Amino acid sequence: MRDLHKSFGGVRAVAGVSLTLEPGRIYGLIGPNGSGKTTLFNCITGAERRDSGDVVLHGRRVAGLAPHRIAQLGVGRTFQVIRVFPELTALENLLVVTTGSHAAAEARARELLAFVRLDGLAHEYAGNLSYGQQKLVEFVRMLMRDPSLVLLDEPAAGVNRTLLNELLDAVRRLRDAGKTVLLVEHDMKVVMGLCEFVFVLDHGEKIAEGPPGVVQADERVIEAYFGR
Amino acid sequence: MNVVITPAMVGQVILSGLLAGALYALVALGLALIFGVMRVINVAHGPLLMLGAYTTWFAYHRLGMNPYLTLLVSMPLLFLVGALLQRTLVFRVVDAPELSSLLLTFGVSIALVNLAQLAFTSDLRSIEYIGGSWMVGSFAFAKSRTIAFGFAAGITAAAFLFLQKTRLGKAIRATSQSREVAMVCGIDVQRIHLITFGLATALAAAGGSLLSLIVAIQPEMGQVWTFKSFLVIVLGGAGNYPGALLGGMLLGLVEQIASLFLTTQLSEAVAYVLLVLVLLVRPAGLLGGRQT
Amino acid sequence: MVGIALAVYPLFGTGYGVRAMLQLFMWVALAGSWNLISGLTGYVSFGHVAFFGAGAYAAAILIVKGGWPWALAALAGGAVASGLALLIGATCLRLKGPYFAIAMLGLNEVLRVLVSYFEGLTGGGLGLSLPTLDATVAIYYAMGAMAALVTLVAYVIVTSRFGLRLMTIREDEVAAEALGIDAFRHKIYAFLLSATGPGIVGGLFARDQGYLEPISVFPLAMTITMIVMTLFGGKGTVWGPVLGAVTLFVLQEVVWARFIYVHQLLFGAIIVVVVLFMPRGVLGLLQLKYRLPRTI
Repeated sequence: MRDLHKSFGGVRAVAGVSLTLEPGRIYGLIGPNGSGKTTLFNCITGAERRDSGDVVLHGRRVAGLAPHRIAQLGVGRTFQVIRVFPELTALENLLVVTTGSHAAAEARARELLAFVRLDGLAHEYAGNLSYGQQKLVEFVRMLMRDPSLVLLDEPAAGVNRTLLNELLDAVRRLRDAGKTVLLVEHDMKVVMGLCEFVFVLDHGEKIAEGPPGVVQADERVIEAYFGR
Repeated sequence: MNVVITPAMVGQVILSGLLAGALYALVALGLALIFGVMRVINVAHGPLLMLGAYTTWFAYHRLGMNPYLTLLVSMPLLFLVGALLQRTLVFRVVDAPELSSLLLTFGVSIALVNLAQLAFTSDLRSIEYIGGSWMVGSFAFAKSRTIAFGFAAGITAAAFLFLQKTRLGKAIRATSQSREVAMVCGIDVQRIHLITFGLATALAAAGGSLLSLIVAIQPEMGQVWTFKSFLVIVLGGAGNYPGALLGGMLLGLVEQIASLFLTTQLSEAVAYVLLVLVLLVRPAGLLGGRQT
Repeated sequence: MVGIALAVYPLFGTGYGVRAMLQLFMWVALAGSWNLISGLTGYVSFGHVAFFGAGAYAAAILIVKGGWPWALAALAGGAVASGLALLIGATCLRLKGPYFAIAMLGLNEVLRVLVSYFEGLTGGGLGLSLPTLDATVAIYYAMGAMAALVTLVAYVIVTSRFGLRLMTIREDEVAAEALGIDAFRHKIYAFLLSATGPGIVGGLFARDQGYLEPISVFPLAMTITMIVMTLFGGKGTVWGPVLGAVTLFVLQEVVWARFIYVHQLLFGAIIVVVVLFMPRGVLGLLQLKYRLPRTI
């Protein structure tokens, strides 16, 4: 039974939020700006220290571990602002992630690049790629370790329609492969179309959760976005 | 280390620590401003302090000015030097990774020290102006240090008033909180950077001028001050300006207390150990404050 | 070819010439070592001369008080330097980049103080004298070997995934950690490696000089020189430090030796110019312009 459960209390930006995620589903995390979404992500990945609460991954408590340990345990994430390694080539960006046999790593890296049709640019410095291409590189780079929990921070940001559809397709395939996907997103169409279950944060608290249609109509959610 | 420590000694040590602390705070405030507003690590801060010391020396020996009055010369002069540095060199690395500004100011600091060595030679100079101490009860107030304390405290207080009350001061504080927001509010960020760097240099110069009456002057005197100023900022919390005050006092106290137990030589190393300890335990400094 | 020329040089070179080349080799080794940590990971080590000095003193003490042969003593110096690096690194490398740099700034002072303090062992301010021995030619070869070794190590690292991972720390440490890269461990390895070279070289230097005093082996000027050479030649590259060392050393000997006082000033100016206009150094510029591989 692979599930993930998070409850945080008292972190400045996140107060007493509990989420339970199950594998093979795509979850959305939405909320107005400043509601604590990225902070929550950071607490899960270990980039930020939480003041209290647990993060349980596959029955193992991971809160408080160093970020690289958590990543090694199967958590992958992309960032709001693209963070590829500009001075490394696309291929190298992926190669650095895994240890072990160079041949195996390279094979997997090429496979992933081909998956997003970037194998032709394998030896191009990542800094020279277009925004969309960098986004894809960051995406597949995250997959090098075959994470079981995938966190995507605003994957649709700044991306054109075609690329977006490719990305969304890729995400669905991740779900089909049994991974757990949690994404933060502002683009409501993406959330509605992709996510099976949505959590809503406001001011660091979870104010609603449920299938997208239900949440969309929830009064509190509407108020959080438009009220005030 | 068989030292009998009497309460009087402790009292004296605390006193000395506080006296030194104000000077540390003054100089560190300048560094904190540069870091807070521009995210630049100004390794050249110490050498700039050294220039202030030399300015005072020259004004005193060549122009016969009252050493304390030379503050009126060294501060504006070094303000201009700082502004010039910022306008020609530093502004180019404000947006670059911190490493660049670190290396840049490092290069500047070496150049400044060497220039001083060329211009002034490495000979030690000093200003014999005020010696001796005032005795209050059984406590000795070294005159030069006490007066320096007074000026340092005064200038630091003025600086804080400036930051809190004046429009320019508030603009500086706004920019250090968020450059984007400041720009949106119509603040000319370039100008603020220029003024901040100049101001910070002036503060360092003031420290140097006051210091010139207490210790010997030589081109290398500033380097350890750069490091100690960083320590003060770390103690007080990066980006936390009042924290610089606390940090300065703390450093002064710790050093003096250490000198009770260790030789003078070793107590120099204390600052370093303190830095490492603090950074390990509380990277955000003792008072918190923003991260890098 | 160059290698053969260098190898036979002592046979017909002047005493002065051999000495000079010896020093050049030393600088290549030093700059190259500094590059391993600071060029690749971006963690600027301002106190690197500490390892040189530590190695020098360790070797000297072993020679004087323990009667060790100088080659062994130099290697021991390298070990001591590594140990020191482990100690310093374990504490300081947990700090983020700029804080690490600041901590290293203070390191110099501390070490100078410590050496003076432990006078009994080190001879304190009076210095430490080694039994006389003319081993200049042997040391020439030893230094040459070190220079070659350091460059080789740099090449091996830069062409490996380990090296790539070090670079990711420089590019974006947060992203690297999010990918499962243990930045701290990588930094420590790099740091240790970068300290061993200066340690051994310091030991060789001690033997060659025959006399040590704190100020001669812990001068900030040495760190500055290491830094300038690497920055100028190209940090993060394999041959950059070599290029920088050769260029600046030659300039030093030929031009600046006459204007000895302007030395630091020029170095400072070079650093400023490099940081502003060619942050990747000469080699970096060439790499960019002629699309040379990164492993140069």
